[in-house]
Amino acid sequence: MSNVVLATGLVLILIGLWGMLTHRNILRIIIAFSLIGTGTHIVIVAIGYVTNGTAPILDRALTLSEAPSRAVDPIPSALVVTAIVIGLAVTAVMLAYAIRLYESKKTLSIDAFTESKW
Amino acid sequence: MLELIGSILVLLGAIFHFSAGLGMLRMPDAYTRMQAGTKASTLGNTLILAGLGFYHPEWSLKLLIIICFVLMTNPVSSHALARAAHIIQIPMTRKTTVDALRDSQQRHRGGK
Amino acid sequence: MRRTFVVLVVALFGLVFASLVIAHNERQSLRPLAESYVELVPEELGAPNVITGILLTYRAFDTLGEVAVLFMVAAGVGLVLGASDQQSRRSPRKVSGSSSRPSSEIVQSGAQILVPLISIFAAYIIMNGHRSAGGGFQGGAVIASGVLLLVLASTRYRVNLEFLSITESAAGVLFVLTGIAGLIFAGGFLDNRMLPLGQFGAFFSAGAIPILSVLLGVKVGCELSVIIDRFRA
Repeated sequence: MSNVVLATGLVLILIGLWGMLTHRNILRIIIAFSLIGTGTHIVIVAIGYVTNGTAPILDRALTLSEAPSRAVDPIPSALVVTAIVIGLAVTAVMLAYAIRLYESKKTLSIDAFTESKW
Repeated sequence: MLELIGSILVLLGAIFHFSAGLGMLRMPDAYTRMQAGTKASTLGNTLILAGLGFYHPEWSLKLLIIICFVLMTNPVSSHALARAAHIIQIPMTRKTTVDALRDSQQRHRGGK
Repeated sequence: MRRTFVVLVVALFGLVFASLVIAHNERQSLRPLAESYVELVPEELGAPNVITGILLTYRAFDTLGEVAVLFMVAAGVGLVLGASDQQSRRSPRKVSGSSSRPSSEIVQSGAQILVPLISIFAAYIIMNGHRSAGGGFQGGAVIASGVLLLVLASTRYRVNLEFLSITESAAGVLFVLTGIAGLIFAGGFLDNRMLPLGQFGAFFSAGAIPILSVLLGVKVGCELSVIIDRFRA
């Protein structure tokens, strides 16, 4: 079961990588970058799965005595919770840069920005 | 028996989601793509949540609230996007013959 | 030439990822560290939600670092986009009347119904952080989406930047002060046992974790709202 989720996350990373290398429009490169982030989050959560496990929240579905044997690993979920919000903030910085680049050259194609190439 | 109905509804919802994705790939311009995406995926969401309500009957009230929320937000956001696309004059395909928004705006401006 | 290079890179990454998927075995039991967390959080902290217990007590210092990273990102967006405000005031705007066009009636009516619902939902998520799924980060993101809807719906809505910056700084300072109070009254920095643990699963339980959740949610919501307001045309 977690093999399927792991494969989905890795396929998303591959799609984002291909999109980042192929497209010339800055906004599409930013979308591909955000796809890589989402794929990485899915991979991290899929690694922590325990067979026939359930979420690590103690309520009617998971009582205190059987928690250590049936709960899913809580540490990757805790890491991903903050990673999602930080990913949103990093996308906001990238979009701010895209706005400034557009205002300086009036085009969104990344081929127009050649100052830092040799 | 209830589980069978629930499974059929979830399968129908998945088919509608797939057709939404297919429509977004194959439609000619931005407006038709937005229409395909919103309508089919809203209905797909509703069907999947309704099917889930048959699986777990004790969740049905919460699922009904979620369905109402999705029905309120999805069309509003798609309307805002399509209106913005019309304002910055994204070109339509040649097959479109009627532009109701432009006609009504011209009538409004001509009548003043 | 360029296309073959791209295809080669993606194919090589695909091979590495495929070997990862093939060699992956699902675990049958928890790792020792995770097992100790799952046992310790209900006992020592009195919180049913293990993930929030980890994020706000055992790894609370990392949460403070993430909040600092969000603050730096908000400052960075303000720096990059702030100079463009003065530039646009000097040169005439080219797009016809885009800055003062009112939004359509459907969006305005929809926003009137949806913004109270979104705010109640955000408060519910923040307050339920220690009992079921939820917490400060998630509730802060939902608050920011409500502010985004308000900004989209009416062109005259201006986010009150002074109020937001004072609230955000006060929330951050109170977070650190709660941590120092944990140092004085209980085991260590940001220990939650300085307030009584209460009954397991009740609303007022798990010590200082609800207070920390609220402060975290307010701080994250204010920062994301400031970032969204910067993008207004």
